[in-house]
Amino acid sequence: MSPGPSLPVQPPNGPHNNPSGEPSSGPKSQKSMTKAERRELQERQRAAKAAKTTAGPNASNAKQANKAGQQTSAPKKGPDAAAPAAAKTLKDTKVATAAASDTVAGKAHGLRIFSHFGLPKPVSAAKGDIHPAVARLALQFSNFKITGANARCIATLTAFKTVIQDYATPPNNTLSRHLMTHLSPQISHLVAARPMSVTMGNAIRQLKLEISGSDIDLPEQDAKDALCQKIDNYIRDRIIIADQVIEETAGNKIKDGDVILTYARSSVVEKVLLGAHSEGRQFSVVVVDSRPMLEGKRLLSVLSSAGIQCTYLLLPALGSIISEVSTVFVGAHSIHSNGAVYARAGTALVAMMAKQHSVPVVVCCETYKFSEGVQLDSFTKNELAPVGDLFSSFPLTKPREALTLHKGPNLEILNPLYDLTPPTSITAVVTEVGVIPPNSISSIPLALGRLL
Amino acid sequence: MAPELQSAGYRAVEVLAGKLRRRQVVGSREAALETVLVLRQVVSRAQFSNITQLVAIIRDVGRRLSEAQPKEHTVGNIVRKVLHNIREEYNTATQGTALGTSSVRNVYSISKFVLQGQPRKHHVAPKSEATASLKENDPNDPDSFARGIKPVLMEAIQDVLDELETVYDNVSKNARDHIHSDEIILTIGHSKTVEAFLKAAAHNRNFTVIVAETGPSYSGHEMARSLSAAGISTFLVPDSSIFAIMSRVNKVLLGAHAILANGGMFAICGSLLAASAARAHSTPVVVCAGQFKLTPLWNLYHEYGALDFADPSSVLGFEEGDLVDKVDVVNPYYDYVGPELVDVLITNDGDHPPSSVYRLIKESYDDEDHEF
Repeated sequence: MSPGPSLPVQPPNGPHNNPSGEPSSGPKSQKSMTKAERRELQERQRAAKAAKTTAGPNASNAKQANKAGQQTSAPKKGPDAAAPAAAKTLKDTKVATAAASDTVAGKAHGLRIFSHFGLPKPVSAAKGDIHPAVARLALQFSNFKITGANARCIATLTAFKTVIQDYATPPNNTLSRHLMTHLSPQISHLVAARPMSVTMGNAIRQLKLEISGSDIDLPEQDAKDALCQKIDNYIRDRIIIADQVIEETAGNKIKDGDVILTYARSSVVEKVLLGAHSEGRQFSVVVVDSRPMLEGKRLLSVLSSAGIQCTYLLLPALGSIISEVSTVFVGAHSIHSNGAVYARAGTALVAMMAKQHSVPVVVCCETYKFSEGVQLDSFTKNELAPVGDLFSSFPLTKPREALTLHKGPNLEILNPLYDLTPPTSITAVVTEVGVIPPNSISSIPLALGRLL
Repeated sequence: MAPELQSAGYRAVEVLAGKLRRRQVVGSREAALETVLVLRQVVSRAQFSNITQLVAIIRDVGRRLSEAQPKEHTVGNIVRKVLHNIREEYNTATQGTALGTSSVRNVYSISKFVLQGQPRKHHVAPKSEATASLKENDPNDPDSFARGIKPVLMEAIQDVLDELETVYDNVSKNARDHIHSDEIILTIGHSKTVEAFLKAAAHNRNFTVIVAETGPSYSGHEMARSLSAAGISTFLVPDSSIFAIMSRVNKVLLGAHAILANGGMFAICGSLLAASAARAHSTPVVVCAGQFKLTPLWNLYHEYGALDFADPSSVLGFEEGDLVDKVDVVNPYYDYVGPELVDVLITNDGDHPPSSVYRLIKESYDDEDHEF
């Protein structure tokens, strides 16, 4: 999926300030607190900062903390509580902590088998020194400004190039030994923003290999240039050229008069369709889409402005049109060694319906998305999209009050981002090394003559 | 048009037909209720001197209403049910003289069952038969037949109305036999029957419901709110995650719009997806529906029931500008779910496998009413 427009960075969850910058109004010193308490305090201070806009800029810290307490605990605390604020702060802290533990307990009561779905965390304060390019990228990840396995991988590698260029080996150390320790906190910062994609993992593993293999005797600047060159080569060979090959191979599978169905938005599928169209093939495209992200709308506008005849529908309506489709093309986030495709949630449903109607399902996937290991279903490992209307994906005709956008008592909202398509519902996987059946995926690394 | 309809009853028919056409009356139960009320009005005011005339009047009403909105199958079903009940009442009333007419009616056989349905208590008598107590076609007093039979007819219609009014209670009376504790149930959309069923089960069982939000109406949001307000642990998920979640779901509970004679059904768009995903994971699919949804039709003209389309603005809003001009938007109301995807139908009259729906239809309606 292509890189999103680089929009101005907006802090998503309040300013990610360093909590120690603000004088603590809590009852204990920060050092004596437990980790949970510190987090609690940090949350309150963040909320306090948000409340500052209403409270006025010169409000005291104590008042801020109190306001935060009111927000998290109970509305019964009126604004007249400003005077004994310092005294109340302690109580508020306790109330807030109690409330937090209550919600944790409530969640456990709800359904324990969902508890492993990690909830999206706010971008936490940077640990260690984080390069500005990485900090910016982390915000773009957590805001879903950059999505898609390819886009995220390219963005990460590009950011790391900047990091490497700005890196200076400390005295008494070598680049090949020390650079990775410098990169690790950057990586963990990105992972904290959004779980790492398989593509990023593969690329970073390759980068580590290159770093540890770089010549000790090389001058530092040369070594850095060589690494950046390696990164560029990786992007070129494994992603850009790979996409071109896939575009051509998969494009040849489209015939005149075909009806191609695709789900959500894959950058590779988009290129395949545009490529086949520019070669003059006459076909129409059915774009199937679904919440939470409604990514298909972007694909729809790209394809229809290119002059391709398009039909747009939401996933539930799939059953009505699937019998008219000649081929299904979908992209992938990653592909497991048993041939199961981990892709945007909904892909599995599309593939299942196509399989039932004997419509071929073609997955377009570069080999660097290969992930060793086998996942049995998409329940064990998944990522949740933030709750609410982040992607403004509800129709405007639907009144907002008729929607349930927030959790309530007994009510949880889950937005899994991925699902796992079993290899049985996939006809073929188009990679840059050829069109292969899904059960031969495990031979790809061997075909490339190396282990990923 | 029968002249008898030139009355207040006729006006009521036109009003309802207009409402159905404009989709002011939507939903199978809503439409069914309105139809019974109109039929009651029509029958109470109708002038007829024999049963054939009455049947013709009711059939005419049925034709008008079902032409107004052919997709509200329950309208036709209710008319058929009322006709069936009226004939039964008539046969009971004319029992004394009807007895001698048919000597072979007590012979039960498979072929007879297939042709005529369940052996009835009272054989359908020839329509124009004169009776001692109820004299049809009395030249001296043409209204005497109507006067005599109307009270029992009103009772027959009241039976239909009562059935409709108690349908949720009766569907959900065995809810706890179908749900075990700590079960995870998936449902889609906002079916009132499923809602009542789950709420009834929640009195005895502690379980979790996952509601798919079911675009483009997103009626699942309402369902999730209603269930969680009733104290049921509820999870709201987007439609795209049905497959991801299905591996942990114990049972899929669906509502129906209409149940067809082959055991398949029309249901809210998305049902096919949920039912197919359930089949892929061997998860049982349970359908909750009142018997008034049984429709003597075999999957209409199209394998997929998406012949009824809703407006596209809820899928691709006009705020998308020029995109709206260039692309086709598909937004069907219903899915057709085949009988092979349904495991059990829970109705207000017990649980049935989809394969026995045809028998229920034979029992509930008279064959000659399948077309008005």
